[in-house]
Amino acid sequence: MVMRAFDLVSAETADQAVALLAEHGSEAMILAGGTDMLVDLKHDKHRPAVVVDISRAGDLKGIEITDEGLRIGALVTHTEIMKSPIVQENFPAMVHAAHTIGAVQTRNLGTLGGNLVTCVPSMDSGPTLMALDAEVAVAGPDGRRRMTLDEFFVGPRKTTLKENELLVDILIPKKNVGKPVDFLKFGLRKGQALALVNAASSFWVDWDKNAFVEPRISLGAVAPTVIRVPEAEAYLDGREITPDATAEAARLAVEAAKPISDFRASAEYRRDLIAVLTRRTLENAYDLAKAKR
Amino acid sequence: MTDVSMTVNGEERTASVPPETTLLTVLRENFFLTGSKLGCDVGDCGACTVLVDGIPVNACLMLAGQAEGRDIVTIEGLANQDGMHPLQQAFENLASLQCGFCGPGVIISAKALLEENPDPSVDDIRDALSGNLCRCTGYTKMIEAVQDAARIMRGESADEAA
Amino acid sequence: MDEKVKVADRGKTLEDLKQTDADLRLPSVVEPAHFPIETLAPEARQQTPAVGQRATRPDGRLHGLGQTKYIDDITFPNMLHAKIKRAGIAAALIKSIDTSEAEKMPGVMAVLTGNEIPVNSFGPSYQDQPVLAYERVFHAGDGVAAVAALTEQIAVEALDKIKVEYEPIEAVFDPMLAMQEDAPKVHPPHDNVYATKAIKKGDVEKGFAEADKIFEGRFSTQMIEHVPLEPHASIAEWDGNGRVTLWSSLGRITLGRADISRTLNMPINKIRIVGTVVGGNFGGKNEITTEPVLALLSKKTGRPVKMIYSREEEFIASTTRHPFIMDYKTGVMNDGRIVARKVRLVLDGGAYCSWSETTLGKACILSAGPYNIDNLHVEAFCTYTNKTMAGAMRGFGAPQVCFAYESHMDDIAHDLGIDPLEIRMLNAFEEGSLSPTGQVLQSVVVKESLQTAAERFGWKEFSK
Ligand SMILES: Cc1cc2nc3c(=O)[nH]c(=O)nc-3n(C[C@H](O)[C@H](O)[C@H](O)COP(=O)(O)OP(=O)(O)OC[C@H]3O[C@@H](n4cnc5c(N)ncnc54)[C@H](O)[C@@H]3O)c2cc1C
Ligand code: FES
Ligand code: FES
Repeated sequence: MVMRAFDLVSAETADQAVALLAEHGSEAMILAGGTDMLVDLKHDKHRPAVVVDISRAGDLKGIEITDEGLRIGALVTHTEIMKSPIVQENFPAMVHAAHTIGAVQTRNLGTLGGNLVTCVPSMDSGPTLMALDAEVAVAGPDGRRRMTLDEFFVGPRKTTLKENELLVDILIPKKNVGKPVDFLKFGLRKGQALALVNAASSFWVDWDKNAFVEPRISLGAVAPTVIRVPEAEAYLDGREITPDATAEAARLAVEAAKPISDFRASAEYRRDLIAVLTRRTLENAYDLAKAKR
Repeated sequence: MTDVSMTVNGEERTASVPPETTLLTVLRENFFLTGSKLGCDVGDCGACTVLVDGIPVNACLMLAGQAEGRDIVTIEGLANQDGMHPLQQAFENLASLQCGFCGPGVIISAKALLEENPDPSVDDIRDALSGNLCRCTGYTKMIEAVQDAARIMRGESADEAA
Repeated sequence: MDEKVKVADRGKTLEDLKQTDADLRLPSVVEPAHFPIETLAPEARQQTPAVGQRATRPDGRLHGLGQTKYIDDITFPNMLHAKIKRAGIAAALIKSIDTSEAEKMPGVMAVLTGNEIPVNSFGPSYQDQPVLAYERVFHAGDGVAAVAALTEQIAVEALDKIKVEYEPIEAVFDPMLAMQEDAPKVHPPHDNVYATKAIKKGDVEKGFAEADKIFEGRFSTQMIEHVPLEPHASIAEWDGNGRVTLWSSLGRITLGRADISRTLNMPINKIRIVGTVVGGNFGGKNEITTEPVLALLSKKTGRPVKMIYSREEEFIASTTRHPFIMDYKTGVMNDGRIVARKVRLVLDGGAYCSWSETTLGKACILSAGPYNIDNLHVEAFCTYTNKTMAGAMRGFGAPQVCFAYESHMDDIAHDLGIDPLEIRMLNAFEEGSLSPTGQVLQSVVVKESLQTAAERFGWKEFSK
């Protein structure tokens, strides 16, 4: 497969990228790791006149704890997430989630920003971040704006990002740094397989009452975008952590989801997976909380 | 046209190619390094795996322009007049490849693994090769060959632990 | 099909046709040599020294060095790149093909359509497959036009400019529907069922009457693509001496030569095929695909022409494994002994016959399983549908029927409360057993190998 002709320009900084987008308007598209973009170009899904390569923009890199929380640059690759001591210490689930993406070669190129912008319902970085109330920062000609992932995701391959905007970084708010969270993915193989369903759960524990505090449940590949399950979260909030409670939350998660049948799995099979993955991520997050206590 | 220059297997190479050219195409068609193969063209099979600044990537999913100034190692960079890389020798000894089309990619992925982890477990090897599809072999002998090569590279004899 | 041969050959005299025919034949037939077969063949069960030895491969070193040359690693000066436009519609009449815009494009050196192919049909048993579809589309992966251009990119853009007008016609996708009398015909006027086979042994109705219990089950398998890691690839060079050389990933170059000779209406001695190292075949590269197209594009341009299938073409325009629908009916005594079995196989052949007949034959013979069954009736049908053609793939139908008879066996064992291993031991072939087609079997070790395997993986403990 060959790609159609385009011009390639390289941006060394986020500002340069925004300026290049402004200059070329709707003709331009961003290229980061290329693991989605080049596949799409080869399949002739887009015909940009100009491709803005941001893979050298150093200010879009980096993983650090700031006053606001844990900041991850949009250009950070899945491998870099796996190898980051900060992520390893605070969110083993993010390491695991990154590890489930594609294979070594894909993780070495593919970036967190690219994964979120591509916005397929089965994306593996989404659920954990959503369960941690992560926000994204977006830069455009009129400056920067921040929003939660809930607001960012619109539908399959659709976000609120405008043509002339750049995803700059991802922020996990300070209050949630270290919050117990677990992620599980079920694919048909261990490597190179998209999720039939993936799920993440996170909560603090009120140890006096052994109860859920600020529970979050997030699911992928079961609706047009990665979703949260407010019904299950509301049910769990303040409730004692028991097998019955997690089972009920799992049931509510199944009820809230709208999985489809496709060549990978039937909706029915996906519903079973939702229940199992929701329950297990809740249990694992609880184990993590106990270990951290 | 975009002018690109990069280090390939230790040598400075330059080419002038259309911007939409992939790294794989430059390597194969401009530098005549046909060892890296095109299997799927979309990142699924790993036949095009090369090292860019030491890490394995799919050369079919990188533009030549993105490789500007970088250090590339292809399968052709592993052997020299003095001999083969221990991985190549082990793959030959154990007949780890059948049709061979996946071989260059597999060996490059294995090389990257051994550089990071000189004593990988079978699970580590499986994980490192999970982006390399082989339709012929079933992987068993590849995994044995990677273990053999690892032993040789650690200064042990190949079948010590066998 | 045969009509097409006539169409393409219209205007020729009988003498011409005779000449063409003569040209296609090999010049002489040599008496088969008489080797002392008996002394060459090892005694039954004799272990030859090769078994258990560690072997390297003669081509292994170059594979690991990345030096093996597959087709895509070969280039020639002035070489052009070809692409084929795929129909994208499962069944249609082609009203018109307009290539004029494509031909005008800078860098496009030649365009080819089906009417320019001397004999536009090929196939290993029935010549039912057009090299490029011209009057009718039989499945969505059919090629309808080919372009040779300076670069692959130009060729791809030229394909966009080729306008094909289709009149959609009713398609049939389900093999069961395709077998019905009033189903749309894939290759009119021919019936959709193009190959059948039956095996009869003993009296199956009598067997069922004697049986304690009768079990029935339907099993089906899906279409599977070989996915060789190296896609189909060839290069053609037509030279000034009137000869054509093809470098091809074809696995059966001798058969391929005959097919190419036929389609090009050209003596076989003017066709040279260089079989390169094949990057995976598995049965999928057993017949020609684009070779005649490339040869003719090379003839038109006077330059070598290369084409590599995209991964997508590999799935839609090369053969696949036949999907089977398998109905089993088995009469069993209470102790688990099988006394009668009736099998009905329906093979979905897709748009063309390809190696269906071979697959059908093997599937029939093996469909009863490695079991002694005195009363057996197997009937099998292969039918056209408007889908990617099925052809040769490792096992030629054996894996499909194996899945069915072994699943059926497990169902029976479960229902009778017999251990699945035991029911197999009770029925399995032994030395001297008769195969369904009456062959006396030798070197039969089914029971021994079952037993050994069961011990090695701890069947007893596992099945508790
Ligand atoms: C073989 C293979 C297997 C895969 N397996 C998985 C998997 O298991 N799970 C999974 O979730 N994903 C998987 N993916 C998808 C892919 O690897 C990820 O989505 C990856 O993270 C995309 O990042 P990228 O840097 O490669 O994005 P690119 O391909 O460079 O870009 C993707 C899109 O995002 C836009 N974009 C990128 N960065 C920015 C930015 N900073 N600002 C604005 N727009 C931007 C681009 O314009 C483009 O539209 C797989 C891909 C391949 C090829
Ligand atoms: S050709 Fe690059 S991954 Fe298959
Ligand atoms: S040896 Fe043929 S694909 Fe691996």
